[in-house]
Amino acid sequence: MKEYNLEVLKDAANRLLFDMSDEEYQTLLNEFDIIVKQMNVIGENKKIDEYAPMTFPFDVYVTYLREDIAATPLSRDEALRNAQHKAGGQIKLPKVVQ
Amino acid sequence: MIKNYKELSIRELHNALVNKEITPLELTKLALEEAKNDNNNAIEYLMEKEALEMAASLTEPEKDNMFWGIPIAIKDNFSTKGVPTTGSSNILNGYVPVYDAQVVTLLKQKHAIPIAKVTLDELAMGGTGTSGHLGTTYNPYCKHKKRLMGGSSCGSAAFVTAGIVPFALGSDTGDSTRKPASYGGIVGFKPTWSRISRYGLFPFAPSLDTVGILTRSVEDASFALEVLAGHDEKDATSSFKEVDKYSEHLEDDIKDYKVAIIQEIFDSITNETIKKTFLESVKKLEDRGVKVGYVHMDNELLTSLFPTYFVISCAEATSNNANLDGIKFGPYHDGKTYQEVMANARTIGFSELIKRRFVFGSFALMKENQHDLFLRAQRNRRHIVEETNKILEQYDFIYLPAAPSVAPKIGEKSDRLSNEYLIADNHLVIGNFAGLPSISLPIGYEGHLPFDANISGRPFEESKLLNIANFIEKDTHLKGIYAKKEGE
Repeated sequence: MKEYNLEVLKDAANRLLFDMSDEEYQTLLNEFDIIVKQMNVIGENKKIDEYAPMTFPFDVYVTYLREDIAATPLSRDEALRNAQHKAGGQIKLPKVVQ
Repeated sequence: MIKNYKELSIRELHNALVNKEITPLELTKLALEEAKNDNNNAIEYLMEKEALEMAASLTEPEKDNMFWGIPIAIKDNFSTKGVPTTGSSNILNGYVPVYDAQVVTLLKQKHAIPIAKVTLDELAMGGTGTSGHLGTTYNPYCKHKKRLMGGSSCGSAAFVTAGIVPFALGSDTGDSTRKPASYGGIVGFKPTWSRISRYGLFPFAPSLDTVGILTRSVEDASFALEVLAGHDEKDATSSFKEVDKYSEHLEDDIKDYKVAIIQEIFDSITNETIKKTFLESVKKLEDRGVKVGYVHMDNELLTSLFPTYFVISCAEATSNNANLDGIKFGPYHDGKTYQEVMANARTIGFSELIKRRFVFGSFALMKENQHDLFLRAQRNRRHIVEETNKILEQYDFIYLPAAPSVAPKIGEKSDRLSNEYLIADNHLVIGNFAGLPSISLPIGYEGHLPFDANISGRPFEESKLLNIANFIEKDTHLKGIYAKKEGE
């Protein structure tokens, strides 16, 4: 497992597109210590790797395709209703190519 | 006119409405008045205008429809068309969905009347009812506002506990419906995973998320499930299994049922009042002919419940909430690049707790960490579920106290490495790991504060579960209790 420290956690937060205060990172480091320790205890069970990872409690099978029924889509105004920064019927963002 | 609507169950309110002892509009006005006077910080948005309009339109009583004209509350992580929905997070301030969650659609079709969107721990990620953007939601049983309601369905639980509505929608990823129910002495019901459509429920950890039901009686919970259960083609994980008439099985004979008590979980609880009351309830089940057996689960496996849940839920949450960027919805915060716009929105919009969970989840999902964290948690989940299913091969139900204490005081510290915390405070997550139907219901009081027991059954056996829960409720005589105000 990758070693975790302040730098690694800051990098992870920045990749998630947010930042935290130094104090918050310290709280997070303390939490990491506890959870990683507990996960290591689980890893001490030699048989743990014999269990297949469980992604859902049980399978739900869908064996059909929905009918292709035409429906009225959202109007442009409705689709943009919750975007706060818009212009000319589109969401407006800073220029990508300067 | 009825005397005190808060004392009535859904069936009793339905009878009063059908017999025209009260109209939907009069009942809605009473509930709105109670909601306005509520001082437990449980409201995200009071749907006064919408509720009054809807209630005024209901003139012809529907005799076969229990929810006709019944005031209800909706946890604010369910989309409601045209009504602000924030998930109690600043990152969604001002967001107004353009569609209804499937469960909201179903309730509206039955002419239930939503009167409020109610608080939760931010984005349903918490168990205390303290982390939403409006601050702490208080437990109506403590007029000095010193007790937790618990979460994440804190507003739903507070509304039902205070008697404002007889039913509220919640959600349950780890115990978020059943734990606050215990702190309020009400019924908290998590049906089988996939039993109810989650279309329009903000996803937290989809492998665990379930729509939750909060009521003040088992019968009311069975009515709610009849409305909400069933396949929805908008949610591919919703089951095709037939929906039962749950309320018609409540009085079935229970003497052939077998109930298991997991000794190690029971032993991890130190509160003698809770243990004694629980055992009295067990004795009453035995008196009714139910066979009760004590079974065992490895203590180390039980102490791994919390870290397993934490890793899985954080990992799923971090990817599910990547769409919250302040661009398509939520407050916009300017920046020089689009990445900076997103980073500003997310830095300001998410609380510290949420950010910590996302960082942990992201770390657990990194390629070099997956084996030791995410995959290990998923493997351990299967281990826990296999051990649980072995018990359910021999027994119909697992019965235990729902929580190790009554509603804790706000700010009270618990030793997070103790068995009481790791096992007793987290055992309800077994129901989410295995997708089991699981219901908490009141069994007693410590002082003036109520507490629940919890009973879980096999997947899709809700009829049997509600049936035995109904008899537990008969034995406790605590059906319909709520936190009365002074002078009531």
